[in-house]
Amino acid sequence: MTGTTFRRTRGAVALGAAIILTLGACGGGDDGESSGGDGPIVVGISLPLTGDFSEPGKGVQQGYEAWAKIVNDSGGLLGRQVELKILDDQSNADRVVADYEQLIGSDKVDLVFGPFSTRLVVPSARVAEEYGMLFVEPAGAANEVFQQGFKNLFYAAPAVANDHYNYLAEHILALPADQRPKTAAYAAMDDPFAQGTAYGLKAKLEAGGVRTVANEVYPPNTTDFSSIAAKIADSRADVVVGGSQYQDGVNLIVALQQLNYQPKLAAFSTAPTNPEFASAIGNKTEGILSPTGYSQDAPYPSNKEFVEKYTAQFGSPPEEDQANAYTTGQVVAAAVTAVGCAEQGECQQKLVDWVRANKVDTVVGPLTWDETGKPKGAHMIQQWSGGEIKIVLPADAKEAEFLYPKPAW
Amino acid sequence: MPSGALLFQSVILGLLLGGLYALLAAGLTLYFGIMRVVMIAHSAFLILAAYLAWFTHERLGIDPLLSMVVTVPLFFAAGVLMQRGLLSRLRPMTLTMMSVLLTFAIAVLIEGLLGYAFTGTQRRIQLGYGSASIGLFGARIAVVKLIAFGLAAVALLALYLLMKKTKFGWALRATIQQPDAARLVGIDTEKIAGYGFGLGLATAAIGGTALSLDTTIYPSLHWHWIGPLMAIIVVGGLGSVPGAAAAALLLGLMQSLLQIPMGTTWAQTIFYLALFATLAFRPQGFFGGRLAQRF
Repeated sequence: MTGTTFRRTRGAVALGAAIILTLGACGGGDDGESSGGDGPIVVGISLPLTGDFSEPGKGVQQGYEAWAKIVNDSGGLLGRQVELKILDDQSNADRVVADYEQLIGSDKVDLVFGPFSTRLVVPSARVAEEYGMLFVEPAGAANEVFQQGFKNLFYAAPAVANDHYNYLAEHILALPADQRPKTAAYAAMDDPFAQGTAYGLKAKLEAGGVRTVANEVYPPNTTDFSSIAAKIADSRADVVVGGSQYQDGVNLIVALQQLNYQPKLAAFSTAPTNPEFASAIGNKTEGILSPTGYSQDAPYPSNKEFVEKYTAQFGSPPEEDQANAYTTGQVVAAAVTAVGCAEQGECQQKLVDWVRANKVDTVVGPLTWDETGKPKGAHMIQQWSGGEIKIVLPADAKEAEFLYPKPAW
Repeated sequence: MPSGALLFQSVILGLLLGGLYALLAAGLTLYFGIMRVVMIAHSAFLILAAYLAWFTHERLGIDPLLSMVVTVPLFFAAGVLMQRGLLSRLRPMTLTMMSVLLTFAIAVLIEGLLGYAFTGTQRRIQLGYGSASIGLFGARIAVVKLIAFGLAAVALLALYLLMKKTKFGWALRATIQQPDAARLVGIDTEKIAGYGFGLGLATAAIGGTALSLDTTIYPSLHWHWIGPLMAIIVVGGLGSVPGAAAAALLLGLMQSLLQIPMGTTWAQTIFYLALFATLAFRPQGFFGGRLAQRF
């Protein structure tokens, strides 16, 4: 808690003085030859730089800044430089609405990017919708975002929580009938994201004929997983799926190992991708699977450039928040380049129509969207093998072969 | 209908858990017996000991069990100091009520200091034998849980022998049963009460070490323990060590078994149901404890 207070104070000092951060090329002075001939393309953004979401908010900011720098260094968009206009919404839903009203209505920005988190995405998307602006957002993965009937919204990530395991589900169900797992056990934290991942896979496996033999939900602060593990071990399920965050995943895996339970497949969300995971479970990681929305090692063409230049700019490689923000920039840039305009008015509808109808190659892979703005992709699946975690699915991004049945842990 | 193997496994897990509850509840009931003190900070000391065990292993590279060489005497001394310096200064008339406030403050203080020193990040000791287990008629018993249970059993047995077979134990029991009469026969009840308090806190040191072997710890974890422990000592009869131990084993077992049909969230309610039932039908507790009648 002390950390949050400190960040809040520091953020308030920094932002109280100058709320508007203007970024862009250092030498943006002479762009007289640009197509519109009307100076830089201004992108309006409101982010939670202070308050509850300041941590991920800053990550998103870095992603946007990296995008602007990389675009400007390679000549800008439509020959014009890009300028970000970022306001701080203090993680406050009323504030975020006022920010986007100001950016679109009085500042007349040419484009907008979304803020962070579902709670802020929904109200700000409503404003963008009123003004008919294209609204691509990096972080609003909950189902309610896509149930509001937004026509201009697109989520710039591979998948919503329920679709994280789609590649795994496809792969399992495509196995020959005699090899396919028959039963599955699920344990999920009482949390919409964690449950979303596990239940997304559960629905698909059940539809594919894999019987559910255990289904447990535990409160977020559970520390003793022995009884849950006992039930799962007793069910002798072929597959165990954990809708976990971090520590709960570690505890559950250790409890399962204590009972000497050896499933043919074990998948846990979030926990296995944590850098401390292997040592936390005593390096008994063999064969554990996890979905991941972004990997620095993913072989998508623009990702290599992003990781390199981002690392040069910020000194450390990008994480998922930064990657999703960068992806937002890539999607909008692709639309602007294809349509050939970047301003308010009719141009925005053309951009929306283009994004709706096209596939965009990004650092998280090729993205397409359904009519609600929900991405149609899935997360990559990584697997632990020989002390390393590697991408195994989908086939076109894999670094190693998918091991099934998994080796003993 | 759950299979026999699952039931057997759950019984074993329940008994292992109950053993730990028993040790911790024994300390808590001791405080009440000696001084009519409700010690909210007991579980905070438990988590403190768990953190010290974690620290010993993580930073110094020593087996967490060895941390008890330091923590047990340290906690004993802290208990004596706390009783002599703070609790004995409370007015007897309002002692029980005020002790709740005082020890609540101590609990919050410990929690805050732990958060300050070790941050709120969840910690877990990574032992080479962390996921090792031995088979018993088809069930599996984790080595770490067995060690924790062993520690609890040895500590409880030692406490029992101390209370029954030594002069100090007699004096302590006399102080619990009839403080005035104890003073009349020449027992220095003030001093004995201080040592008794130290003894209670020493159980928290052992319990915390046992706990740290197989669970995640974080500074606010103690709030999850104090409720069940309070329920256990009421069901067991306030002030009765054997009563607390019996109630702990029984409730630990019931919690473990109820998780099969009810799941983790609802199985926890057994402690509170048992607490309500005890207060409604048998306020003196089910396993002894004449003290509650006077409370």
